[in-house]
Amino acid sequence: MLKDLKALYIGIVVLVCAQFGLQMGFIFPTWQKNYSVTAGGNISAQLSPDQILLQLFGFREFLAGILWVRADGFFDEGNYDAILPIIKLCTTLDPKQIDIYATGMWHIGYNFTDEQQRSDRRYIASALALGKQGSRENPETYELFFETGWMWYHKIQDDAWQPVKWFQEAHRRKDILQARKNLLSHAYMRNGQIPEAMQEYFKLFDEANISAKSATKDYSSIQIRDTLENNVDTELVRMVQRGWVAEQRHDGSFETGGYDAVPPFDTGFSCRVVVTAPRVIHFEGTWNVLPVGTRIRIVMRDMDYPGAKIAELDWDGSTIVNFEPGVDQTYMQDDLYVKNRRFNHDVDMSKDPTMYPCVSKNYLLEFYYSPRIAPPHIQDKFSWNGEGMKDKNFSNEEIRGPKEFVYDPFPMASDGDKKLAPITIKSPGQRVFYTTLTLTRDQLLKLGEWTNRTPTVSTSNYKQTETNSDTEEIIKVPTLRGK
Amino acid sequence: MAAAIETQKLTKTYRSRNLGKVNVVDELDLVVEEGEIFGFLGPNGAGKTTTIKMLLGIIAPTAGEGYVLGREIGDMDVHRVISYLPERPYYYEYMTGMELLKFYGSLFGIKDTAKFQALLEKVGLAGDASKTISQYSKGMQQRVGLAQSLLNDPKLLFLDEPTAGLDPIAHTEIRDLILQFRDEGRTVFVSSHELSEVERICDRVAIINKGVIEQHGRLDDLLRGGRIEIIADAVSKEFAESFKGEDIIVSHHNDRLILDMPETSDVNAVLDALRGKKANIVSIVPRRRRLEDLFVETVGRADIRGKAKAKAAVTEEAAK
Amino acid sequence: MNVIWNIASTTVGEAIRRRVLLVILLIGVLLLSIIPALGILSARSETSITIGTMYAVLRGTSALIAIVLTIYMLPNEIERRTIYTILSKPVQRWQFLVGKYLGAVLALLLMITMMTIFMVLLFWVFQHPTAEKMAEIATQPFMYWMEMSLLAAVGMFFSTFIAPLVNFFLTIGMWLVGTVLNPLYDTLSKNGNTQPLMKGIATIVTNILPNFANYDTKNPIINPGQVIVNGALYKWTTVGYTAMYVGILLLLSIVVFDRREV
Repeated sequence: MLKDLKALYIGIVVLVCAQFGLQMGFIFPTWQKNYSVTAGGNISAQLSPDQILLQLFGFREFLAGILWVRADGFFDEGNYDAILPIIKLCTTLDPKQIDIYATGMWHIGYNFTDEQQRSDRRYIASALALGKQGSRENPETYELFFETGWMWYHKIQDDAWQPVKWFQEAHRRKDILQARKNLLSHAYMRNGQIPEAMQEYFKLFDEANISAKSATKDYSSIQIRDTLENNVDTELVRMVQRGWVAEQRHDGSFETGGYDAVPPFDTGFSCRVVVTAPRVIHFEGTWNVLPVGTRIRIVMRDMDYPGAKIAELDWDGSTIVNFEPGVDQTYMQDDLYVKNRRFNHDVDMSKDPTMYPCVSKNYLLEFYYSPRIAPPHIQDKFSWNGEGMKDKNFSNEEIRGPKEFVYDPFPMASDGDKKLAPITIKSPGQRVFYTTLTLTRDQLLKLGEWTNRTPTVSTSNYKQTETNSDTEEIIKVPTLRGK
Repeated sequence: MAAAIETQKLTKTYRSRNLGKVNVVDELDLVVEEGEIFGFLGPNGAGKTTTIKMLLGIIAPTAGEGYVLGREIGDMDVHRVISYLPERPYYYEYMTGMELLKFYGSLFGIKDTAKFQALLEKVGLAGDASKTISQYSKGMQQRVGLAQSLLNDPKLLFLDEPTAGLDPIAHTEIRDLILQFRDEGRTVFVSSHELSEVERICDRVAIINKGVIEQHGRLDDLLRGGRIEIIADAVSKEFAESFKGEDIIVSHHNDRLILDMPETSDVNAVLDALRGKKANIVSIVPRRRRLEDLFVETVGRADIRGKAKAKAAVTEEAAK
Repeated sequence: MNVIWNIASTTVGEAIRRRVLLVILLIGVLLLSIIPALGILSARSETSITIGTMYAVLRGTSALIAIVLTIYMLPNEIERRTIYTILSKPVQRWQFLVGKYLGAVLALLLMITMMTIFMVLLFWVFQHPTAEKMAEIATQPFMYWMEMSLLAAVGMFFSTFIAPLVNFFLTIGMWLVGTVLNPLYDTLSKNGNTQPLMKGIATIVTNILPNFANYDTKNPIINPGQVIVNGALYKWTTVGYTAMYVGILLLLSIVVFDRREV
């Protein structure tokens, strides 16, 4: 037996202190940076202890995989609501499974619709929040940056600088697929950044040329080269049509000339709104643009909808993935299709009371048109920034005026501790068309004094004519040969 | 002669939830001379194994002192020259006899395979060296235990129940080995319940009961106090009665007298008296005292003493 | 040192013959062999699921082996009295203890190595990875071996004064708690709403209790593409941490065992 244990006690104390210092000073910070479940990203504050405990057994990825397969099953059954909690659980269990974020975003953003296939846009902020979360958790790969950018570009369509931001971030990641790179050019175009779009196209085209000519060329690289060549040609033609000479100056910018889009065309919008039944609204009116392809955005929302902006919501306002957004809030967005200078459209919200609870007392009807999201053959007249259009009553150059947006790039591990400089995106101003009408709840639901009356509101310039209805008419397309 | 083992008031106390403090070994004073075979006896739970463990330094005494081969108990250097064969030992069953000796030998730094072989021969296991312990019988396991206890050529061996569970032939063999150890000049400390074996081989013994040494000394001295039985015929009843005295048992039946008296009695005077009365002396048989008798007597006396003490304590408590 | 080594090698010999440990090892190997089939459940993440689940099985099996091995080590020696024949030799109690621990660690190394070889071979058969990937996969079991060495020390420490059944649950509990220390502390430290007192307590607990989460370095292997900073240094410091904490536990075990009645 040992006679003196003092040395042992001292040894224990020394070792306890030493391992304490080692853990706090190096081991834990390094573990946090390199090996934690959310290494490289920020952990969601939503993570609860029981979810952390699931990591214990090391079966996180496996559980996430099984649950995701189950989610597929729910999708096939049409039980979309059941998928939402699975998305949350899977992303918590395995924040590195990119498929879950990508598919989850698509699901939340696109699959919740009413009977007439209008998206429930109250979910879009959550879809974006999921994309943002996934990007934070997986900063080394381009995928979720790309998916988030696509959600902005394809689904939301407005806030054109946002897809630029996200596609730029996707481009910074080395694993971006060649075939996806040109989306940045499209995003620049949408944002009115024509020189940047052309620079990007030329850069991609040069890269594609090298790739197609190299010894390892394969069919896909030739196809990509051809597609890019076609894109560059098409954009150059459009630039000419829309007032750009498309001659590149020595400084890399492009020559401009007189706009084909000048003088601006008067779109002559007018509209009458009739509540034909509770939650059923009929829109009819004029839009003086031939032949087809114009879609005027119509938004109906609570007058006091939190975070509402002009003809949209604050899609970027949330970092939390909320699966029950706006339970008592109403937001409807649709498009008025124009044929033969007229539109005639019914919005029936009566079959989807959950999506359109209509709790608020007053409602704002917004009519909005942006040339940035017009199809090419209309942009040939209106151009990217609306130079070729105006409406004598409802043109607006303030709400989408020129702006600069600044954001901090998402750091990657290869950036190390270096502080990245903020990036500025300049969004040239554009002319849009915008006007509003209002309805009360009683009018919308035909309650009270409106029970036996037909609520009708219209723009000040609306004139009732016999030729307003157009549903059976043939679309008259002017011929180049004249009459 | 120097003492191989010496203890002064060696005590081991345990705390029990039900009984409180219990002195399993209570102020033990013990001396074992070098070169002798010492028997350490006692009933179950007397404190024999606890004493041995303290002497071996396996457990620490609560109080008192102990010395083994002149060094304080627990001294690691002493462990190089002593050895221990525990009661009902268990060895690593997967090892062969040879591997077992190699393992224990390695703890001394001994690697000599020839020595291991010689030891196995000594204990009669030469032919079974490559069998695993699981294949050994009880007797073979005991033998290999003895072999491992001889690895370091010990001056002092502690053997706890060395013959327990063995057949008579094995008994004899083990006994002969122990005697051989003494002849080789080793000291052997034997703890055993086999009193007949102890009586045959031990030079001195100590009897421990409830942690206290009740008897100790040379066997011859302890077993002194035998009796003599005299049987004579043609003795009248009145004459028979005349022999009655202290510690003399007189039986008379049909003129046959049976006298049972201490061996210290004046036997010749008795015989003369019988011859004087023309009695017919049938037999004179000396009966030596056995160790078993001493043991039972000692332990029984201690128990009675203990009960009386307890009773007195209860009475005193009641009187208060 | 020879004494310690000899006791250790005997312990290894005993351990590899203990049926219950061999059964646990067999179950681990069987589970490993069915995992490639489960990987098919995820269309794109098959590799990450396969590796992740294999690691989980390896870790769980090793932990069970480590605990069962050590909680009975000392009690068995005392109950069977083999300890007496050893302590009666010139062997100090601390040498005996350290020798038994070292033997347990070596036995664990042997068993984990066997499972790793099987795991890597299985992975190679089903996934045909590159040699580099296979080598990378084999690195995490080394961390698991260190983790189990620490766990063995915990089990051994408790066995110096607690009965095996209670020790089993206590040691498993320590392992479970130790596994969530880093993730919990990570969450608390990043959450702005954490009270300073709570954070202080968490800091102390995380750094006083044996931290098994330090050995969890599998994420970059399961989800490649991450850039690891100071990876090799991290592993070496973890070795240092293991040595320190095992040292603490062994010293505590020696203190307790030195005075224990056997």
